[in-house]
Amino acid sequence: MTTSPPPPSAAAPQKQQPTSATLTPLPPFQPDLYQRAWSSIPHPTLPLLATAHAKSVTVFSLATLTKHSALTGGHARSVRTAAWQPARGSGNTKRLGLVTGSFDATAGMWSFDEEEERGLEREVRFGGNSEEGDDDNDGGKEWEFNLVLEGHENEVKGLAFSPGGQYLATCSRDKSVWIWEDVSSGEGDGTEDDWETVAVLSEHDGDVKAVAWCPVDLPNAKAGARRGNYSADVLASASYDNTVRIWREDADGEWVCVDVLTDHEGTVWGLQWETKPRDDGKFPRLMTFSADGTIKVWSLREEETPDEPAAAEDSNAFRSNFGALPNTLRRSLREEWDCTAVLPKVHTRDIYSVAWSADTGLVASTGSDGIVAVYAEVDESEALSDKSGGEQEGEDVVMTSPSPQQQQRKPTWKVLGTISSAHGPYEVNHVTWCKRFDAGAAPERRGREEMLVTTGDDGVVRPWQARIA
Amino acid sequence: MERDLDNANPTILSVSQLPSRRRKGPAARHGPDSRCDALVYPKHHWPFASSSSPSSDDDDGDDADEPVDAQDVYDLISTISDPEHPHTLGQLSVVRLPDIHLSPSPAELPSPDSLLTVLVELTPTINHCSLATVIGLAVRCRLEQTLPPNYRVDVRMKDGSHAQDDQVNKQLGDKERVAAALENDTLQRMVDKMLETCA
Repeated sequence: MTTSPPPPSAAAPQKQQPTSATLTPLPPFQPDLYQRAWSSIPHPTLPLLATAHAKSVTVFSLATLTKHSALTGGHARSVRTAAWQPARGSGNTKRLGLVTGSFDATAGMWSFDEEEERGLEREVRFGGNSEEGDDDNDGGKEWEFNLVLEGHENEVKGLAFSPGGQYLATCSRDKSVWIWEDVSSGEGDGTEDDWETVAVLSEHDGDVKAVAWCPVDLPNAKAGARRGNYSADVLASASYDNTVRIWREDADGEWVCVDVLTDHEGTVWGLQWETKPRDDGKFPRLMTFSADGTIKVWSLREEETPDEPAAAEDSNAFRSNFGALPNTLRRSLREEWDCTAVLPKVHTRDIYSVAWSADTGLVASTGSDGIVAVYAEVDESEALSDKSGGEQEGEDVVMTSPSPQQQQRKPTWKVLGTISSAHGPYEVNHVTWCKRFDAGAAPERRGREEMLVTTGDDGVVRPWQARIA
Repeated sequence: MERDLDNANPTILSVSQLPSRRRKGPAARHGPDSRCDALVYPKHHWPFASSSSPSSDDDDGDDADEPVDAQDVYDLISTISDPEHPHTLGQLSVVRLPDIHLSPSPAELPSPDSLLTVLVELTPTINHCSLATVIGLAVRCRLEQTLPPNYRVDVRMKDGSHAQDDQVNKQLGDKERVAAALENDTLQRMVDKMLETCA
């Protein structure tokens, strides 16, 4: 037991810091897909998982761990990724929406009709006990292909909805990011999709591999979100050009690049925002992962006074991208994102996917080497005593007269556990945290307990029980 | 051919000059072509592999426990046709046995799922060969289709051999771009044609 008072910033009482993670494979989703599967995206609330493979998406039920439905016939080439559409504003339509990004250079918007969705809710309630008689929503006919978003010149590689669902960002090998705005009337049954291009961002020098919106609806994001002249939304993009760019919308409705993150030495395969609310009130961080085998964490440099002019403006020679802008605008346009952590190196080849849990803050990574690793951010003091204290109960660790510095929260990233050959000899393309709804989870924990789901070149979509100790 | 060749007069080796295993001893078989068979028609064809080990082919006894080595990799890719010359990559010395590196050695793999990296360095016939990417794609494609799934294939241009080395290497190392390229009809047709001579 520590007798010292908790550091002021660590408001939420963390009973015990995690020291290990044990991953146990659960039976894979059925059926096997028998071909490379790229990614599996869980629905934010419903027990559904959308797996992109070949020219289609298979939706699995997280309750039964079997195929629920399929989206086929909408794309001429492989579907690389998918995103669930957030429920629309105040509209109470029960419509389920999915958007798919394909190598055929388009994004497709799909919807699942009302009647079948009641089937989904039934499934939630019965959680996998009644799957036998529940076959009526099987098959691929319920998904309708509503709208095709055309404009990219070649493969669409990533897409993401903004937190409110107002914007959709898509990115492509054509080096651009497109931002689309939902201009659907929102009247009637809400089944009409209408989207307009509001921006084409062409500053990357290579394929844009992924895009992600900052979770600006989090309490800690709100303070920083409406900084300077910007609207709330913040977009990040990761590229084959080894950089990450941060984009914001200025007062004139123009989307501008406010910082370029250049620390990676290989293709940046993707990025994840910190979606767990921070108790220190700071702006959400960004995690990026790369072909260089590293995972980096970036933090926004938050000034004491929001409108303080950046003095060293001219000495900062980079941002040729702002060169065309009048001087008076420059300072308000720039943000400073610093690499504040690099996760311990585990992977020996490209890191294709990282997942940052909104619940626990734990991070999982995977990639070409077939390894799945789980990391936690722990206080350094604790990590040190672990080394000396061995494996026994964390309660026994005595923090001997901590100096004031040690009492400060000095978070550091630590590997909790790894598993190799997660998909046998195959590459693993994607990992995600995902709520458990299956019968294997205790009923009171269904919908709450988190598991990992990995997706591989072998066409297997595999859930993993993650026991954190 | 309607376009000018990038290199009109490449040096060509005859088949008998190409490296093979013929002198290796009693277990040797009959030259590069038939040596390929066990690999060309592997029992566990990607991506439908079973979990059995890569050396469990039983169609021919004397091969049973021999792991894939550099010569095997050479045999798999040296017979790929050049996209602009009526010769194979082996004959044109685009593919050379000393430029194929396996690590770790197949014999040292702790388990059949352990990764083994195959690095193939290509030497295009001249250093601005516009078809370098296509050749690299064909080589990567050939090896991914025929080698067991625990082999990770890295195809690169040999240092200094190609004017845009870094670009080409990066493209060939990008799984997503390779996958997308193979869904491009034109490229797929070129690669198919180059691989026709491999069977």
